[in-house]
Amino acid sequence: MKHYLAAIACGAIALPATLQAQGTQFTVSGLASQEIVQSHIDATSTRFTGPMLGGEGVLISNRLLVRVRYAQGRINPQGGNGGGLLGPGTSDPRNVVEGEALVGYRATPWLTLWGGPSARAYTVGNSDERWLIWTGRAAARGTLLPGRMQTFVELYGALSGNVGDPPQRVGGRGATGGLEVRLAETGSFWGRLGYRMESTHASGLRETVESVTLSIIYGLPQ
Amino acid sequence: MNRLLAAGLTISALLMPAVARAQSANALLEQGVRAYSVREYDGGAWLLRRALAVEGAGALGTVDAAKALMYLTATEAARSQRDSALAAARRLIVLDARYRPDPQKFPPDVIAVLQDARRAAPTVSIHAPGDTAIRPGADVFVVRLGAATSPEVNATITGADGRVVRTLYTGAFRDSIDLRWNGLDASGNPPPDGRYAIVVSPTAREQRRSGGGATWSLRLPLELTRPAVDTTPLPAAPPDSLLRPERGDTKGAIRALAPGIAAGAAIIVLPKVVASGERASSARLIVGGSVAIAGIAAFLSRHPGRELPGNTLYNRNLRDNWRRNVAEISRRNADRVRQAKMIIRPGAPSLVTGGETP
Repeated sequence: MKHYLAAIACGAIALPATLQAQGTQFTVSGLASQEIVQSHIDATSTRFTGPMLGGEGVLISNRLLVRVRYAQGRINPQGGNGGGLLGPGTSDPRNVVEGEALVGYRATPWLTLWGGPSARAYTVGNSDERWLIWTGRAAARGTLLPGRMQTFVELYGALSGNVGDPPQRVGGRGATGGLEVRLAETGSFWGRLGYRMESTHASGLRETVESVTLSIIYGLPQ
Repeated sequence: MNRLLAAGLTISALLMPAVARAQSANALLEQGVRAYSVREYDGGAWLLRRALAVEGAGALGTVDAAKALMYLTATEAARSQRDSALAAARRLIVLDARYRPDPQKFPPDVIAVLQDARRAAPTVSIHAPGDTAIRPGADVFVVRLGAATSPEVNATITGADGRVVRTLYTGAFRDSIDLRWNGLDASGNPPPDGRYAIVVSPTAREQRRSGGGATWSLRLPLELTRPAVDTTPLPAAPPDSLLRPERGDTKGAIRALAPGIAAGAAIIVLPKVVASGERASSARLIVGGSVAIAGIAAFLSRHPGRELPGNTLYNRNLRDNWRRNVAEISRRNADRVRQAKMIIRPGAPSLVTGGETP
């Protein structure tokens, strides 16, 4: 395990120089968010809130981009009966893991089209509920102050997906928006304030996730 | 037999000038000497003049040039062209003031022409090497002045317009002296390509000493050329399209405001679009409001007429970088030009006495 971690650390140190030498840009970020999940099954609903921590990395090579994101946390019920595939009345705290792996194409300097899977899993004890959704996305950026401040809005819709076992078809859509500010005039660190809202649904089941995220980004955000 | 040879030489001289032009100066000299020896004076004079007219790398050396001029003097004297013979003899004296003809080869009247020329000409000669390449300021081009007496002279390099480019020597000398030129003008710069001359003339004191009659000047034409130097073109000034506005304008202000307001509004209405009917938290108002306020702040910072220090600094850096590049490239180009060799091609020296050129 120690060897594995050491190898990852060496790779992390060597990777930026290697990528820059090949003309590839990258950004990495750490994020903290407050998440609000509203879980509905039939007529019952439960509201959960809790913090999430995670990270994100983006590779940019000319017009092609690759983005991976991972976050995990624990959300606690705020009211209602609980529900979802974990069973009606389940109002215990949930461990949440979510992630995505997207490939993007920068159609114009301000518009990027993305596609790829995103996954979300809740765990309570030995039970879990896994959402896997393939999404198509369009992200637009606007510059407020060149090199200092920019905004972004991203809309996405589910192309296909499933939840549970046996799997049920899933649909949904979502959006993200926010502001990115360079933390120092000539530095490489940026701060991001983002708001995300997404809603996914299966047969008799609906999950709405709302989050406010603060990120520290190294590299020019794309 | 001699007549047949003479006829052949005449044909080659009169009917095949193109062939003769392609021949080397030394071959022309030898043919001219042979023509003189068989008394074919017209063809011989033509061949000798052709040999003396060759310039550049194929030109006659000093010894051969003196030989050609001696035979030309003899040939012209034999053709009863005394003025031409005298002119050729003067050129010979200028080339080599101490030239002594072989009395076995030339009749007394030819030697007498040479003596006349020697009496009329100053006893100064000039001897230049062939084509020479020097680095101005680093190498030197040397010509030798010779004299049988101890004349006091001025030696200068003059331009085609007669302007003195550089004074090489002023004073008396005995026997001979080397004039050294480092390829620079009086202000220390290499002169531009073109035709120049080393002009040697007696000083005013020398003229008074000789009774005021010694008005002469010895002239060695020089052609200066420098091969094209491979220099780097200077970069163009940054175009306006690369410069940022140093004061806010309406267009820029609106361009800063619009995305902020649009993104802020989009964030606020997101729940309606994504999950209508869902009770959304007030977090969207905080984030959307922050984005809208940032847009307004950006608008105000780019308000028309307001100075944009960041852009001013950016433009100044851009211009400073460009100036540094220009200065560096100019310096490197100047170094290359300075290192480039100047080619000096001396021509045939000539003497001007009493306002006439021989």
